[in-house]
Amino acid sequence: MTTVESYTKLTDVAPQRGLIGSAPPVATEADVKRKYRREPGFPVPILIAPATLWLAVFLFLPLVSIFIFSFWKSTGHGMTPAFTIENYRAFFSTDGFFDPAKPDFLTPSVFIRTLWLTFRFTITTMAICLILAYPMAYFLSMQVQNFKWQLALFLLVMVPFWTSYLIRAVSWLPMLGRQGLINIFLLGIGAIDEPLSFFLYSEFSYTMALVQLYVVLAVGPIFFSLAKIDRTLLEAARDMGATPFQIFREIIAPLSLPGVAIGMIFIFVAVMGEFATAVVVYGGKASTTGTVILTYYVTGNYPFAAVNAFMLMVAMMMGVIIILRLVDIRKEL
Amino acid sequence: MRVQKSKWSRRSFMKATAAGVATGMVGGFSRQASAAEGLRSIGLGVSEINEIQDKATKDLGFSVTGQAMGYGEMIGKMLNQPDQYEIAEGYYHDLAILWPAKVFQPIDTKKIKDWDKVTNLTKTGHLTPESQVGQGAAPYTMIYCDENGKRQQEPSRYITMVPGWHNADSLGYNPKSTGRPIESWSELLNKDWKGKVGLLNVPSIGVMDCAMAIEAMGLKKFANKGNMTKAEIDFMIEYLIPLKKAGHFRAFWENFGQSVNLMVNGEVVLESMWSPAVAAIQAEGVPCVYAFLKEGMRGWHGGFSISSKVQGKQLDQAYEYINWWLAGWPAAFVARQGYYHSIPDNAKKFLEPVEWDYWYDGKAAAKDLPDPFGTIIIKKGDIRTGGSYWKRFQIAVWNSVMDENDYLTKRWTEFLNA
Repeated sequence: MTTVESYTKLTDVAPQRGLIGSAPPVATEADVKRKYRREPGFPVPILIAPATLWLAVFLFLPLVSIFIFSFWKSTGHGMTPAFTIENYRAFFSTDGFFDPAKPDFLTPSVFIRTLWLTFRFTITTMAICLILAYPMAYFLSMQVQNFKWQLALFLLVMVPFWTSYLIRAVSWLPMLGRQGLINIFLLGIGAIDEPLSFFLYSEFSYTMALVQLYVVLAVGPIFFSLAKIDRTLLEAARDMGATPFQIFREIIAPLSLPGVAIGMIFIFVAVMGEFATAVVVYGGKASTTGTVILTYYVTGNYPFAAVNAFMLMVAMMMGVIIILRLVDIRKEL
Repeated sequence: MRVQKSKWSRRSFMKATAAGVATGMVGGFSRQASAAEGLRSIGLGVSEINEIQDKATKDLGFSVTGQAMGYGEMIGKMLNQPDQYEIAEGYYHDLAILWPAKVFQPIDTKKIKDWDKVTNLTKTGHLTPESQVGQGAAPYTMIYCDENGKRQQEPSRYITMVPGWHNADSLGYNPKSTGRPIESWSELLNKDWKGKVGLLNVPSIGVMDCAMAIEAMGLKKFANKGNMTKAEIDFMIEYLIPLKKAGHFRAFWENFGQSVNLMVNGEVVLESMWSPAVAAIQAEGVPCVYAFLKEGMRGWHGGFSISSKVQGKQLDQAYEYINWWLAGWPAAFVARQGYYHSIPDNAKKFLEPVEWDYWYDGKAAAKDLPDPFGTIIIKKGDIRTGGSYWKRFQIAVWNSVMDENDYLTKRWTEFLNA
């Protein structure tokens, strides 16, 4: 039975928000005991060992070595162990930053600007993906009643993912080019006299390709979190006279936020690390931090490539943390 | 293993898979074991071609495998895994990075059978007595070393890399779209072609093409386009950034296929280009000419280095393979893509006279000519721009890795993001 006292007690010990949302309720001694009794299968260490080992060897070690290498010295053909912050200085500093007479007065270094550019493309992509993906997921989960149709349509959304990443990027060329389908069509109906060139090798084509490449990463999680919403809640709200907009604002939107957050994290991480798409559909006319890493890798300056990789990682982590602070994922999972 | 279709049960599938995995593993082991036997060669698709290494295996009696890699991968593997290859088919200018890493060993010219027949292009820099040596990392400045591997400028018995295939790069253009012949590097930055120009996106090389153009326009004289100073790099980037902002460049390409597509799809009318691209573009029915530019061309030269880990029997085999290459069969093979050989007479032995006349002698093709794989790419009557090898191989600057390479890369990134 819920009394007023027990209610206040409940709210009193409202869980603290950790790095990624609320911490799970603290287990009592009885809980702990019961837990072990309830899971008679494999012992936990055996279950988590493969993943832990895999992550330690193939994720944690490489990350740590990237961080260490970023302090090493480049020899022009490799690197030697050292501890120098010269690489970081080169990343952050601009010649003439403090000199009002220089053209680069108060201009951030080219590598920071590249990281910023990468970030800007990522945010644009995320915004457009959200605008496209949410209605799509909403339609699939709320409007399509038949489960078979839901599954079929969801698979249809996934179809582009059945082919290779590169083919999906390259296939924009015959579409957007000066002699591409769109220009042929526009010329054909007489809308333009000369082929338009801004469709391809432009910010337009780059953003479009990124959205098309990654939008599915958002549709999936949003679809699942929308599908999980208890329909009786919506019915109850309707019975109590809520308008469709109120239902969306008070129930659907908050409950689907974790899906949105997960989708946005997927896209954020994927696009921040981009380096191939810009070459194909932007004609290499902008470089991302990914391409900078590659360029320095090719010329054998591994420490500086490592600095860029590390800074990219920091930016990614900050982005992920911000998204997770905005949305309490644990509440819903 | 043969399995009848009707009996293709899950069990037989498992067996086949297990057998396949086992074979793969045994194969893997045996290949490892025989690493002390045959040769593994790594390089770019220019010289790593199945037909060449298969023929070598047949002619030499030991296995030669080739691995064609991307440029960055290739440099990375050469630098970091010298025990994973015996032969490195690299490029002279990259020795600036590769040689100090001590991943290659000095090569004894006494063991190179036709060393005396190798032209002076790599020995003194003068292909003909009149020809200029060119700026930048000319092969003759990179080739010599002493017995212990210390590089030197004076001729020596020991060398870093045995010269093989080479060529002169310039601009390719669509004559129908330009409406006039392209004869100077200055056209690369000519505002007439605004929005229709493609540039190679390798900082050290793209920058030299632009330097050739800036010099041809009379804007600045570079002391050494192959090794620019910071001030020279700044001057050039400051000139290029407004051009890029104004939309002069349509795209920056990174691989051969991209350069072909750009012109075939009508995206560019003029771009930095590698010679085999011309044939590939013409094969798509798009007219394309490889310009012979009055200021001279941008040269590059490939060759063979031996990994420092190679010794004993494998070392002998490495020399055998290099000698086999120089003897001419593979040289004739790549000649049909427009590449030249360090011993032209040896290539001649394996070319039809008609082919020799077209590719080396600069005469009109007396009949249709094939590429290395048998596709007809040269129509009867076609003529190579610039004339014969000895006439057209005028190198203004060689591909180079500059001392200020890091600075250059930084400024180039700025240019790309402008």
